[in-house]
Amino acid sequence: MGESSAAADAYENGRYKYIHDIHKGPPEAIDVHHIVLQRSSQKKLLIFCFLTLLLFASSPFFFFFLQQLNLLTTLPWSLLLGGLFVRLLSQKLVKKESVIILPAFGVQLETQYGSGRTIRRFVPINKILKPVLNECVTPVTCYWSLALIIRGEEELMLVFKELYPPVKMLVPIWKAVCAAIDVEET
Amino acid sequence: MTHAYNNRSGVRYMTGGLKVYYVPWKPFLMQNTLPTFYGTLPIIRTILIREKISVVHGHQAFSTLCHEALMHARTMGYKVVFTDHSLYGFADVGSVHMNKVLQFTLADVTQAICVSHTSKENTVLRSGLPPEKVYVIPNAVDTAMFKPAPERLSNNEIVIVVISRLVYRKGADLLVEVIPEVCRLHPNVRFVIGGDGPKRVRLEEMREKHSLQDRVDMLGAVPHANVRSVLITGHIFLNSSLTEAFCIAILEAASCGLLTVSTCVGGVPEVLPDDMIVLAEPDPSDMVQAITKAINILPQIDPETMHLRMKKLYSWHDVARRTETVYDRALRCSSQPLLERLSRYLTCGAWAGKLFCLVMLIDCILWQFLQLWQPDRDIEVVADATLTSFLHEEMSRDSFFFFSGTIDDIS
Repeated sequence: MGESSAAADAYENGRYKYIHDIHKGPPEAIDVHHIVLQRSSQKKLLIFCFLTLLLFASSPFFFFFLQQLNLLTTLPWSLLLGGLFVRLLSQKLVKKESVIILPAFGVQLETQYGSGRTIRRFVPINKILKPVLNECVTPVTCYWSLALIIRGEEELMLVFKELYPPVKMLVPIWKAVCAAIDVEET
Repeated sequence: MTHAYNNRSGVRYMTGGLKVYYVPWKPFLMQNTLPTFYGTLPIIRTILIREKISVVHGHQAFSTLCHEALMHARTMGYKVVFTDHSLYGFADVGSVHMNKVLQFTLADVTQAICVSHTSKENTVLRSGLPPEKVYVIPNAVDTAMFKPAPERLSNNEIVIVVISRLVYRKGADLLVEVIPEVCRLHPNVRFVIGGDGPKRVRLEEMREKHSLQDRVDMLGAVPHANVRSVLITGHIFLNSSLTEAFCIAILEAASCGLLTVSTCVGGVPEVLPDDMIVLAEPDPSDMVQAITKAINILPQIDPETMHLRMKKLYSWHDVARRTETVYDRALRCSSQPLLERLSRYLTCGAWAGKLFCLVMLIDCILWQFLQLWQPDRDIEVVADATLTSFLHEEMSRDSFFFFSGTIDDIS
């Protein structure tokens, strides 16, 4: 990659932050879109989970060991269990999801978790028929999601598997992927 | 907004820009979802906010989703209109409960619509609603679709058409008595019966018993698109319902140029002019007499004239215009504070009134909680999309549907 990236766009909403980078350099400009889960809500979520799990983990122990041991010995156990649960949770907790558009090549979808683990999926450009914005209806809510129609497959591929970004952040990504496909077809 | 039908679930766009939400709540009895009371509050709130709704219009007293939606809409301060499409009794246990539920919904409704004057009387008596709040807007018929046969049928053999659900309410038992008698009295009469239901077995038995296989044709369930083609094979349309608020079936028959013979129940006398319909009491001998009278006046009937008259009398555009007037009146009504609304529920009954108040209070509290959990500004409003290319496909995942178009204005 050639020169450093230029942050073309950054947009914030209470829970999510949208960052658009354009890496200029040979052979062509690479478009990167990030959706970051805000630190404040991440921390809030973590603290909330930790406290509830602490409560759950400590209460049965508390009652069971009350007759035999005292509080000093039960507290480290509950802390340990709580810590273990939080560690497992952070592995599931998403920190950032990115869409990297490599023109004439494909689209790379990345999911970065709180523990540092990153999952990447690559889709070649000729396999993508079209990106679509869906309105998903569940029994309790209705939200927008971005998905790719893959040639030859019945299921749509979701671009953002874990996060639910607002539609204002999805639209520029949708337009960018559409543009990349149109360039490829011509 | 409605519940999901089979695998039809999610958002769909219909002609004219009508957007339908098929919410994935499973129907459990007679196309009705399980009454969850407060379970539908989150999704209804989300839809009302994201679509910038001003008026919520509910239909059908028997729909649990309708009552819940109207209750939540009222709690959230929206204007509410309710349309009642059926007549109900007062005596049996089912009706008593249904009427209580209706009383609850209508205690706080902004405006109500009924499909006939008889229906208005019935609704006002059942629910205790002040009559000034109730408007009468009769249903109409699509006269462009229901046209008479291009060539007039010969009068040698008279064909009587019956198209209805074969259930008790629609008088299937009356048919079982009437048909053999008419076939005996008039040798040149043939019957065509379209429709299905629990009473179909009785009609088949009647056919066997009186050896009427060549005089009575049973067509089974007729899809709505084929109704016209069945109607134009006949001269007379027979309706034997035991109760009817309005009756669109006889409108469709009249639009196709058929003379109607019907039971004089509910709102039926209000539907057609006296020279297009012969009325009878829901009694077999009276109906046989009415059919005889109809057969005698048949030569004077001209299907084309009938169709042209119906075109002038009934049109859905007129219904739409009148419904818009009701919406305008509803929007002009002032919003009332919570205490005043709750006091209206107290008049519903000694213990029922207090129960209704409690239900509404809990709904208000739940709404406040929901607003703390997900504030109104977090729910995104749907942009007005201009649909240029329109692609639709049903996928195996049950909760969504998509459209491909251009979104011009997201700001």
